[in-house]
Amino acid sequence: MELTERERAMLAGDEGPVVAEAMDYLVQFGEAFDAERLVDLAYCHYPAEMAIYEGSVEDAVEYAARGAQVRVPTTSSTLCADVEKPTITGCPAALVDLQTQVVGAHRQMGICETFTCTPQFLGFVPPCGSYACLVESSAIIYYNSVLGVRTNRGGLFTRYSAITGKYPLMGYQLDANRRGTHWFRVDVPTARLQTYDAWCALGMHIGALVGSDVPVIDGIAPDRQEWLLGMGAALATSGSVTLFHIPGVTPEARTVEEAFRGGPPPEPVTVTEADLDAVYAAQTTIETESPIDFVLLGCPHYNLDQLRQVAEALAGKTVADGVRFWVCTNRMTRLQAEHSGYVQAIEAAGARVVADTCPVESHMRASTCRDHGLPVPNVEAMVCDSGKMIRYVGDLIGCRTALTQRAACIAAATSGRWEG
Amino acid sequence: MTSCREYRVRKVVRGAAEGEAVVCPESFSFLGDVDLGTGQIIAAGNPNRGRGLKDTVLIYPETKGSSGGAVVLQTLVKKGLAPAAIITVKPVDYNLAEGAILSRIPFACEPDGDVLGQVKTGQRVRLDADAGKLEVLK
Repeated sequence: MELTERERAMLAGDEGPVVAEAMDYLVQFGEAFDAERLVDLAYCHYPAEMAIYEGSVEDAVEYAARGAQVRVPTTSSTLCADVEKPTITGCPAALVDLQTQVVGAHRQMGICETFTCTPQFLGFVPPCGSYACLVESSAIIYYNSVLGVRTNRGGLFTRYSAITGKYPLMGYQLDANRRGTHWFRVDVPTARLQTYDAWCALGMHIGALVGSDVPVIDGIAPDRQEWLLGMGAALATSGSVTLFHIPGVTPEARTVEEAFRGGPPPEPVTVTEADLDAVYAAQTTIETESPIDFVLLGCPHYNLDQLRQVAEALAGKTVADGVRFWVCTNRMTRLQAEHSGYVQAIEAAGARVVADTCPVESHMRASTCRDHGLPVPNVEAMVCDSGKMIRYVGDLIGCRTALTQRAACIAAATSGRWEG
Repeated sequence: MTSCREYRVRKVVRGAAEGEAVVCPESFSFLGDVDLGTGQIIAAGNPNRGRGLKDTVLIYPETKGSSGGAVVLQTLVKKGLAPAAIITVKPVDYNLAEGAILSRIPFACEPDGDVLGQVKTGQRVRLDADAGKLEVLK
């Protein structure tokens, strides 16, 4: 791999052993994939080193103590607990205490304490065409596709990229790999695509068909940023999609031709209402007219306007006894929502605005409590408006599920039943 | 020892190591296919089920499964239960490459011959990743 003089000096230890080690790992990584050189990053989204993984917090603390400092703007992903308001989710104190250690370690390293899966909605939007390294599949696909910021699925090496500001030029950093591979023409009435869950269902359907390829999705009008977020999160859940194009909408595809970079487009595949119906049917395992005990909104984390809408929809309503109702967001958005009175309105109805975490990353995940010798919270049936969450709770929480629109989630929360 | 057969391989992680081959005919996942406590293969259907990976040269077609596999590999290293070297027939994926680099296990891929058919479990083999060479020893 061709390194600049500065990069060679970093590798040789001129900027300390932590930087030298990080460069050594990145160079080996790049050489394994024939990367010609390293690129300079504009941004990193860093794993929060959750307490649900053994040794992860201790490792983060130790790394910070070695003097590691990030050198590009870097935000942090979700934690396993709402460390600002730990009591509202009933998270065991032992887990909160362990997780809280990460906050100090990240601060020491210069990482912005966002603890969210949606840093883009907090204003971390580098220039279109710049290079980045992110964790969190729903953010990765959004940065790549909607913002035109180039990132692979960052894994363990996000740490070394943040420390050096470098990443090997490979994968989705390269033009050649950003070309569309599949063409979908969505033939679904616009009226059907006016709620968040419908975009999730669309993403679930297409993701299952394309696996890790690059779908070009035509014939849709995603007029809300959260619709693109929900669809992307679902594409990265049923498949491992890292990049999609919507002709006329996303920045690298003004036209269908541009989405395929001038190459011949493949035969288009039509998506119909029946395909969406099949997703709802597959993701809904709660029997009609049976009780539910968990309602979840905010996967990925809800933005301020979504919180405002929930507050409005909950006015005058009361969550049924025995139902947990979480609305998940990040701490900055919750702070603003408190200023605006949305949090108070949601809490008045008996729901909780939870920051920093989500059910499958938290103590609600069955294996987490088992690993820590803590009692496993019982959940029988969850109703949710997110395709991604619904897909994961079945395995990670072990409950029945229903995918539906937000209004129906709220109705289920107040009645305590799934009406079907 | 003299080499009775030799393959060209593509380096992923630097280094060299020698050990008994463990040849798995199907794709392999560190998460789920290996017991973290003993380092033994536990996957049903794997002909090497019950065999420990410690100090072996693990050979398989491609990595499957969760990104947690890279963390499992690191954990095996910490416990002294990891293989001495790894060879995959197909190109490596990002996740396992990261795990192998951090674990400092010599790792190579894309051999130029039918290693799955020709190398037998229990044979001594030597991987020199830097030289791009896998030798079957006699």
